[in-house]
Amino acid sequence: MAMRSRWSILTLLLALALVVGACASSDDDGDADGGDDSTTTEAAPEPTDDDGGDDGGDDDGGDVETTDTTEDTVELTQDGGSLLDSVQSAGSLRCGTRDALPGFAVLQDDGSYEGFDSDFCRVIAAAVLGDAGAADMVPLETNDRFTALQSGEIDVLVRNTTWTASRDGVEGATFLQPNFYDGQGMMVSTGAFDGIDAMDGTVVCVASGTTTEGNVATEFARRGLSVEVLSFESTDLIQEAFIAGRCDGWSSDVSQLTGLRSAFPDGPDALTIFGDVFSKEPLAPAVRDGDTAWAQAVEWAIFATIQAEEFGITQANVDDFLTSENPSILTFLGVEVDGTSLDPGLGLPTDFAYQVISQVGNYGEIFEQHLSPLGLDRGVNTIWLEGGLLYAPPYR
Amino acid sequence: MSAEAQRPPFWRDVRVLGWFFQLAVFAIVVAIVGILVNNVRVNSANQGIPTGFSFLDQPSSFEIPGNDFRQSQPVRDALVEGVFNTLRVVVAGLVLATLLGVTLGVGRLSGNFLIRTITRVYVETIRNIPLLGLLIFFYIGLVLTAFPRVEDSWIVGSLLVANVRGVTIPWITGSTIAFLVVVAIAAGLAWAVNRWRLQVNERSGEPARGGLWAIPVLVLVGFWGAFFVGNGITTPELDGRSLEGGMTMQPEYFALLLALVIYTSSHIAEIVRGSIQAVPKGQVEAASALALSSWHRLRHVVLPQALRIAVPPIGNQYLNLMKNSSLGFVISYFEITKVTQTTVGNRSPAVPAFLLLIVIYLVLSLIISAGVNVVNRRLQVVER
Repeated sequence: MAMRSRWSILTLLLALALVVGACASSDDDGDADGGDDSTTTEAAPEPTDDDGGDDGGDDDGGDVETTDTTEDTVELTQDGGSLLDSVQSAGSLRCGTRDALPGFAVLQDDGSYEGFDSDFCRVIAAAVLGDAGAADMVPLETNDRFTALQSGEIDVLVRNTTWTASRDGVEGATFLQPNFYDGQGMMVSTGAFDGIDAMDGTVVCVASGTTTEGNVATEFARRGLSVEVLSFESTDLIQEAFIAGRCDGWSSDVSQLTGLRSAFPDGPDALTIFGDVFSKEPLAPAVRDGDTAWAQAVEWAIFATIQAEEFGITQANVDDFLTSENPSILTFLGVEVDGTSLDPGLGLPTDFAYQVISQVGNYGEIFEQHLSPLGLDRGVNTIWLEGGLLYAPPYR
Repeated sequence: MSAEAQRPPFWRDVRVLGWFFQLAVFAIVVAIVGILVNNVRVNSANQGIPTGFSFLDQPSSFEIPGNDFRQSQPVRDALVEGVFNTLRVVVAGLVLATLLGVTLGVGRLSGNFLIRTITRVYVETIRNIPLLGLLIFFYIGLVLTAFPRVEDSWIVGSLLVANVRGVTIPWITGSTIAFLVVVAIAAGLAWAVNRWRLQVNERSGEPARGGLWAIPVLVLVGFWGAFFVGNGITTPELDGRSLEGGMTMQPEYFALLLALVIYTSSHIAEIVRGSIQAVPKGQVEAASALALSSWHRLRHVVLPQALRIAVPPIGNQYLNLMKNSSLGFVISYFEITKVTQTTVGNRSPAVPAFLLLIVIYLVLSLIISAGVNVVNRRLQVVER
């Protein structure tokens, strides 16, 4: 009897030891974090084998030999190396996006993604990897997006996400140049209300986990109106509730409302979007905090689309510009003049702008391909020379 | 003396080894938990994510439908409202699911072919559908389509206004807690009066008529007390599209309650059926021999014994119901999970917020377990 209980205890211990062994790598991360923090500045140039240098000593060696993209990148970024290196060595970019928002990111029958945000994923892939097709789209629910970013499940989040102070702060995200300046609006059944002021005591449906919830409450309070806000996980449920009359209004960013209206079962004319926009919603790509090199690389990829439109370079005519007389354009496209081309030290290939434009297009082209068909105007989303908000810092 | 002499050295002493291994296992568990907690803490700090509970004092920035909760109130208050909403659906759900479940369970063994078949189809269908499917079906397919739009509300005087935004009935104004205290006092008095009448009946043989005495006491004391503590009555009035007064039962609440009750009752029905079949056949035969009617057989002989067997597994179903109420988040019913999710979506840090959610569910589960245990102990046959 005594022997048996001892054996069972031993077995239990053995099992526990196994568990501890399995957890050891995650435990390493913690240690390595502490250890590497002091050495990040000098350790920058060694890209792949950070794990070998940790002080734990009981490393299982698995991470060094494999080129398994997922695990490696997670490990690397937690150890303080830049995601830029690991994305480039992995050869693919994991881009957090949506799968059913008309105009922005829609999953196609053949498994590809089409839309404005999807194209910006491709822009980043083209800039960083030279191949727009190397962007792996990871569809995410609204509530999961920051967790996915924090945990390293994705490299960059391009999922019409509003840049706010607390997301910058609390969610551990770094927001970059907005790719779309949006604003929250209100959509109602055509003819039901004249404007937001007529909507006292109504029910408004929104998507949960967004800034929209609070904005609706704030806007109605500001106008001295009462409102009830229902928030649902999926837009399908919102649509059902809206059709049933459970909600009188449907509020979201105007760009989304336009897309949703275009796909409404009763046709787009059954719905009206009010002209009032009651919040600023700069939709911006986001990367994880604390990785400046990666953030800058992604940001310059987006700047490239804006700069290209400013120069008038399009997908069709980009090759003509390779022999341009304008030195700024030659520098921008990374054309070698007298055997040299500018490498601003961003960690991007010198011809990244050329790759972006030739494979995806400039900002205006991306917008007109995906958003203009929905009936969205360029509005403030034009370059600064035309009075818009798009302004790229000089590339030199 | 001899026993002392025969004790092995400590490294082979079973008791010492037992303690040693217990402590070792305990230390390992503590170490693992410590490592995990430290991991979260360090990694969160590196990414600039706060890990403390200071978010509880931040403004919530969202509102809770069917409630006068304002967005300037702190997250703490939102969570309290969430717990309250969870309790509203759980308490009502437990009572209704038990009643329906026991009825169905008895029906499963009915001699009547129709009743037996209907209950069987019900149980076999419902318990093989995922609750989430039921919930979405009830919400979209039943509740949202059954009720009219606001413009075509069903109105019964000032007693009832029903539309797709909810069913509104007259309700008390003023403090709900004060009202509940008054009701409790009135019920206590009514109980005392009933008891007194029973004593009178025992002493003098005069008919007790407990109800005849107790109910007026309950009503009078209740009304007078409620008036005294400042409770009033508010009736629903529909003015255009907006509703004033009354208490609204939201369609989300109704759909969630319905789904939970229907789903859980199918499980309880099976437990009750099994428990009834576990009652020895001789008990029923003995009751028949005493010429008890089928109702009396059930009420006084079978069910008391069957429910004793059924209590622990039904307790499990209660726990399931409570935990399943978290699915309310799908249809925007603001129970505690929905509130936690919403607050995480509105910049509360996810790890501490969900940790808190886990603790809340744990506490609720333990309370239900404790309640079931108390009932179980009281119903237990005293073994000799």
